[in-house]
Amino acid sequence: MIPQLIKDLLRIKKLDASLAIFMVIMLTSVFGSVLYKVKPLAIAGPAEQPPSAEFPLGTDSWGRDLLALLLTGTKNSLRIGVTAALISLTIGVVIGVIAGFKGGVIDSALMLVTDVILVLPSILIMMLVAAYMRERNPFYVSLIIGFTGWPWVARAIRSQIMSLKSREFMDLSKMAGLGDVRIIVEDLLPNMASYIAMAFVLLMSGAMIAEAGLSMIGLGVTKGVSLGIILYWAQMLESVRRGMWWWFGPPGVVLVLLAASLLLMSTALDEYFSPRLKGG
Amino acid sequence: MALLEAQALKAYYSVRQGYIQAVDNIDLTLDRDVTLGLAGESGCGKSTLMNALMMNVKPPLHLMGGTIVLDGMVISKMDRTELKKDVWGVLVSLVPQSSLNALMPTMRIIDFIKDVIHHHTAASDSEIVSMARKRFEELNLPVDSLSLYPHELSGGMKQRAVIAVSTLLNPKLLIVDEPTSALDVSTQKQVLRMLVDLRKTGIIESMIFVTHDIAILRQIADRITIMYAGKIAESGPTEDVLFDPKHPYTVSLTSAVVTPEPEVRERGLASIPGEPPDLLDPPEGCRFYPRCTKSMSICRSVEPPLVKSEGTQLVACHIVSGDG
Amino acid sequence: MLLEVKNLTKIFTVGLFKRREIVAVDDVSFDVEPAKFISLVGESGSGKTTTARLILNLLAPTSGEVICEGRDVFGLKGIDELRSYYRSVHGIFQDPYAAYNPLHKIDRVLNQVFNLTGHSEAERDGVVKEALKEVGLRHEDVLGKYPHELSGGQRQRIMVARCYMLRPKLIMADEPISMIDASTKASILRLFSKLRDEYETSVIFITHDLGLAYYVSDEVLIMSKGSIVEKGSPDDIMNRPQHAYTRKLREDIPLFYRKWPGF
Repeated sequence: MIPQLIKDLLRIKKLDASLAIFMVIMLTSVFGSVLYKVKPLAIAGPAEQPPSAEFPLGTDSWGRDLLALLLTGTKNSLRIGVTAALISLTIGVVIGVIAGFKGGVIDSALMLVTDVILVLPSILIMMLVAAYMRERNPFYVSLIIGFTGWPWVARAIRSQIMSLKSREFMDLSKMAGLGDVRIIVEDLLPNMASYIAMAFVLLMSGAMIAEAGLSMIGLGVTKGVSLGIILYWAQMLESVRRGMWWWFGPPGVVLVLLAASLLLMSTALDEYFSPRLKGG
Repeated sequence: MALLEAQALKAYYSVRQGYIQAVDNIDLTLDRDVTLGLAGESGCGKSTLMNALMMNVKPPLHLMGGTIVLDGMVISKMDRTELKKDVWGVLVSLVPQSSLNALMPTMRIIDFIKDVIHHHTAASDSEIVSMARKRFEELNLPVDSLSLYPHELSGGMKQRAVIAVSTLLNPKLLIVDEPTSALDVSTQKQVLRMLVDLRKTGIIESMIFVTHDIAILRQIADRITIMYAGKIAESGPTEDVLFDPKHPYTVSLTSAVVTPEPEVRERGLASIPGEPPDLLDPPEGCRFYPRCTKSMSICRSVEPPLVKSEGTQLVACHIVSGDG
Repeated sequence: MLLEVKNLTKIFTVGLFKRREIVAVDDVSFDVEPAKFISLVGESGSGKTTTARLILNLLAPTSGEVICEGRDVFGLKGIDELRSYYRSVHGIFQDPYAAYNPLHKIDRVLNQVFNLTGHSEAERDGVVKEALKEVGLRHEDVLGKYPHELSGGQRQRIMVARCYMLRPKLIMADEPISMIDASTKASILRLFSKLRDEYETSVIFITHDLGLAYYVSDEVLIMSKGSIVEKGSPDDIMNRPQHAYTRKLREDIPLFYRKWPGF
């Protein structure tokens, strides 16, 4: 069933295109950051140089190679994005499944917690937590983003579970004496795989933008580089006013491409799965 | 002259693997002033045959061959525009399965009727309304239902409304396909009574009633045709086909009828093992051969033709016609 | 007494703003002895399917009891008690498509019952194939396939096969042969009879088809709008119907050996 599923999915043009864009960026950054021998944070040459043969993307105000910065920065942004998305996904799915399946008091309690977090302005929370942390490594940044991004996932998963719960095919498994956990894992989760996949893609997109946002106000990782950090420096040193397009341009473009390709992927997945979810 | 005469009718569905030979070389004659019951199990091709007979053929269904003459007109040669103008609704109307759901939810019944009539005649709105009221009264349908929306009507009322609308222009032939399977027993009887009234009052001349429920046909059909796997197995007057069946399939079918009558308990319920053949690649000889208990060797290789039997029926069976 | 249903009632409240109450099952009571076929006859909306789901403990009642072999069904707690119940009482559902999880092969529907029975690994394959044969299916035709690849009749028969594998004491069969072709219905009914004769299995047939009920049951219960309006043997129901609803039902069923007057 899975191989057939992958084959079917790859036939959708939208998915192919967006997946291609995403994969290209990801692979380039992952392999490029290793293969391109210039260290991103090292001073490699004269400052504020436009692109040339030696520095394909020019240098910044400190004379650092912007291509190296871009490659490593993209890789780190992706890493933070994936980690944060996984954290949000796990929390959201677990809470959503338990609330939807159990119902009653447990459901009300969990949804109360969810709503509180939902309502809190996540940017402010992230800013507060980040400001209090002296050292911010990528994992902590992922945690901050992950812990604020899960409420909508929990709600979405909960509704799905509640509607699936009343479907008749649950009856056969109940009559076979299967316990709750087995029913959730064997019957419910496979029917939600598409939702979970879409949620993950959307979470990742949101997480990367959140990371960029945090970084641009100076609350990103304290050591290392990410797309947001590059933009932070670019903005701090007034690269726009001074016309250094090779500094603020590429990171912005890459970030937009990543977010856009992920969003496109999620709509492609949605189109593919929706008619089928309706029992088609 | 017969009302409907179809010869060598072939209608296939084109699918990825080839053609599903749903209607395969069928001859059918329908006289005037007759209710014909078309019976058979799911997948035997009866719905396809009905669509083919009135030339309602759209891909993936293709008319592969044959001629159809309806009230003297060769409709198999007409194109869709001509059919829409002069045949459909005017000469022949089809009430397909699940037609309950075909009513537009945003139109009241009377609006739907106006829409339909405007397609065919230049009558004014008020003429249409009075005609609709008169017809509904004639058929014992509540006239108030004309100003209601479909969701405000019960299932049975919807079905009767659809039938009434499809016969507004007094078509000579009405074809109904499983009109009562989704209805409860009492509503079903109302619908059946309405159909019988349509014939009695002369609004329609003949009717073809398609169903898998033979007991219904016992009550309302003058003649019965039994279909199996895309072919006609037996055809004749109702009482003869049902109580003196000749084709082995008809024998099984009539012995499998379940009605709350003591005769059913005495007789017991028959059943035949196996399933109908795959119409993508039907067998060469008689299509019932694999499940038939009385078969001969000729049955495997030669398709039996539909011929007159000793009784009043036409039967397609080598054993009955004494071949081999 | 195998099953005792006492004053079973189920009220659904629907609507978001205007709460409405729907009495789906209204004070239903009846008993089932071993090796008996009972039919619960009613039209759609009569509450018969809800009654079945209540008895199968798939739905909690508003009030009333169901006692199976002395055990209170709604008081069952824990996986072991539930398993023990489902070994004795099992259901066949009306809509064979919705009843199957579309993402699993149909084999799972059959193999699941080994959770309840004590069959060893070695025996399982044979048990499945035997059950499929009994319902007239060839295992090559159905094993390894997904629900959408099979016909309605095949899916229905697989559910019957599942019950056969269990040899339960009571089967709640909700329209078990509605999608099966007329020419094959009898073989499934014969299977139920075999279970009754060999294992004392009782079957509660839930159907709208009075003809089927008449043919196969020892006792017929007529349901309308949530309550049982009449109870009796098939002959009582057909020849001496007491309730107006039963009489109307009898009049309106198309018969085979007799013609309706005035038609």
